[in-house]
Amino acid sequence: MTMETDPRRARALPFVLWWLILLALFGASIVVAFLSLGRLAPIIQFGIAAIQTAVLFILFMRLKGPPSLKWVFAVSGFFWLLFLFGLSMTDYSNRQGWPLTHYAKRL
Amino acid sequence: MRGSAAVLRPEPQYASLDQQGDVAQVGMWVFLVNETIFFGALIFTYFLYRTFYSHDFDIAAKDAVLWCGSVNFALLVTSSLTMVLAINAAAQGRRRAMIWLLVATVALGCLFLGVKGFEYYLDYQDKVVPVVNYQAKPGEGPAGELFWFFYWVATGLHAIHLTIGIGLVLYMLLWRIRRGEITPAYFAPLEVVGIYWSFVDTVWLFLYPCIYLVGRS
Repeated sequence: MTMETDPRRARALPFVLWWLILLALFGASIVVAFLSLGRLAPIIQFGIAAIQTAVLFILFMRLKGPPSLKWVFAVSGFFWLLFLFGLSMTDYSNRQGWPLTHYAKRL
Repeated sequence: MRGSAAVLRPEPQYASLDQQGDVAQVGMWVFLVNETIFFGALIFTYFLYRTFYSHDFDIAAKDAVLWCGSVNFALLVTSSLTMVLAINAAAQGRRRAMIWLLVATVALGCLFLGVKGFEYYLDYQDKVVPVVNYQAKPGEGPAGELFWFFYWVATGLHAIHLTIGIGLVLYMLLWRIRRGEITPAYFAPLEVVGIYWSFVDTVWLFLYPCIYLVGRS
């Protein structure tokens, strides 16, 4: 689906349609919460949130369109998050006594 | 950039208004990388504790007021729509539409804060305010309180960001637009505020499943 995001030429209708899609995804996220999907539910819900974020970033925040330099920072933000999550997990996954002993019995 | 649209000129370090606008946008994205790490660290902490103490989190999170979070979700996504349409209107010289769309954006932001305030009141009644007024539910271990610490810190920080966003849109409305500084030739300040506004919206996209959809099934 090609969409004009240059504000000088952009029309309202495509943005309204994407807004409706965002709300439909939001509804799907709620439905998933009430199904008995166990650990799959949060994976789907955060997957939906990631798709919604991509729509907002690319269309509503106009990553699509000049200047292309915006992509460098948007992508670098994503990689910094990966570093943050990845390096922190290497720490926690190798800690002794974590999680706390009385909770560990339940896992 | 002072006075009316007739005297719009780029600042001395830029060759054109377009270049000045591009740099402003890139500058906002640089700032948002910092914000991503800021909220990312917060959400990482949540993931960590939710993974290790999932039972307590499931019980504690049942007290989160789902309808408040859901209404606020819809309000914020709608405000992102009105914001982007306001920027389009500014670029296309539709001044009246731009002003009304920005007023709608501010109104939706204020409604969000109103619903959030009411939700805080309900939370206080439910005794889920750590340190001040907390009562663990039957079957809930001490880690349940951690969930509510996350809730208050995350939603509080988000509300502060949204309040700043409302202030920025009001600044655009009451100062920059009134002085004729936002025109089809140069609307970068409004566009930069719009990028920030939608970023605050994306933070809620992730806080919502973290807080309101846990342990519902």
